[in-house]
Amino acid sequence: MAEVQQNNGGGGKGKSHQKKMQIRVDFTPMVDMNMLLITFFMLCTTMIKSQTLTIALPSNEKVDNVENMSQASADDAVTIIIDAKRKKGSFDVDSVNGKVVNEVYYYFGKPGGDAGMFGPGGTILEANNNLQKSELLSDEVNSAGIHTARGIRKIIQDRNKEVLAEIKKLKEKYASGGFGSLETKDGREKAQEAYNAAASEVRKNENLKKPVIIIKSTPQASFGGLVSALDEMQINSVSKYQIDNMTRVDSVMLIDYQNKHHND
Amino acid sequence: MGRVKIARKSTFIDMTAMSDVTVLLLTFFMLTSTFLQKEPTTVITPPSVSEEKVQEINYVQVLVSPQGKVWLTMNNDTSKNFGNEQMRMALLEKVSEIYNESHKNKISFTPAQKQAFAKLGSFGVPLAQMGEFLSLADSQEGQTLMDKWMQGEDGNPNHITGIPIGPSQGENNLNEFQMWMKAMRQSDNSTLTDKIKDGTGVALKADENTSFDIMHMVMDNLQTIHMNKFTLLTALKAGDE
Repeated sequence: MAEVQQNNGGGGKGKSHQKKMQIRVDFTPMVDMNMLLITFFMLCTTMIKSQTLTIALPSNEKVDNVENMSQASADDAVTIIIDAKRKKGSFDVDSVNGKVVNEVYYYFGKPGGDAGMFGPGGTILEANNNLQKSELLSDEVNSAGIHTARGIRKIIQDRNKEVLAEIKKLKEKYASGGFGSLETKDGREKAQEAYNAAASEVRKNENLKKPVIIIKSTPQASFGGLVSALDEMQINSVSKYQIDNMTRVDSVMLIDYQNKHHND
Repeated sequence: MGRVKIARKSTFIDMTAMSDVTVLLLTFFMLTSTFLQKEPTTVITPPSVSEEKVQEINYVQVLVSPQGKVWLTMNNDTSKNFGNEQMRMALLEKVSEIYNESHKNKISFTPAQKQAFAKLGSFGVPLAQMGEFLSLADSQEGQTLMDKWMQGEDGNPNHITGIPIGPSQGENNLNEFQMWMKAMRQSDNSTLTDKIKDGTGVALKADENTSFDIMHMVMDNLQTIHMNKFTLLTALKAGDE
């Protein structure tokens, strides 16, 4: 290893009896230094690359002709409002460990149902408030490993069950090798590609009943909440969703709801 | 009563093999490492299930602090034609053109200031103070002074940190953030401009606790100059499919 042995030829008759020299290099300091360098590089590098989420927002230009705007039918529309958790009995934002806790509210169809939220003369019809509260929760996994959706995910999955059923079929087909053999790496990539194409076909299929989700957010809600909501769209294979601004009626409903439930 | 003689063994451990391994590891880390970019503020991006990876070259990063301050980073190609330094110098010229169209106090930069700008990763000071900021680069400890200014820690109340941004005032009344973004879109680097158009070239990086108010303002600013598509930087979330 790190020893160099000097042998003098051997055949001498002992006249020049040179001492056998052993040169041994101690590598310990070298290892020390290397370890320091490794530590430095390990601490200074980013191994994980950031992920990105692509979003497309509607144009900001004013549309003169309201009829030209694409409208979701009241049947399909689900509006999600993300709000920050408030302190009990006030509108101040509550936080846990310095983190904003997001709450999510939703309503189906038009705000206030078919009758609307406003009565004659601009009175607020509180009884018509169809806002409901939910939570941004991930799946619950029981001991048997079965996932159960909770919170807003459950609601979206329920509204999008036709698409999800098709996607599930595709997943099973993929797992059983229906899109091509999964034995080789090359084959897996091809199968994945075929699966992705089929899945996006399903998501866009006009014959399936699917929701149109409108995501709104109060000014106090956090950016993390918005990303979680966008995540839900991806998890639940929702193809039609939109980020939109809060309207007056949304705020009215939200405040009305919070007033009614501030003791919860 | 013979004593058992214990042979004295050398305690020398051969470290050569160990050294071999560490050198291999070191080589691995050196080759795979991309250094953390120094940023004026530290943000924790929200977790997401999205698996799209971030671009490495040809994108513009908009860093938003929870207080609503904004810094920009322009990453160009590694090719010679559209290298970072060249494109950044062109960007500074372009943005001063746009700025001078609408402001009485014209700004211009000396070649040395442009050189200093080309070396900057992130930047975020008002254009009116940009000259003073870039002149710092010549002085001793210039880099430290510039970093401190950008982090808002240099103690000078006149030095403003972050690119001026505010609620969008419409297309004919751009704020400085919009001017920068517009200048980026007019860059000669066609790969970058194409990516800005299809949305993958603009990345918003913000802390998960940033209020939607601030994010909405930034997004609204972008929408006003017809940048309706962009990406949000997120961290990987394990678990959910």
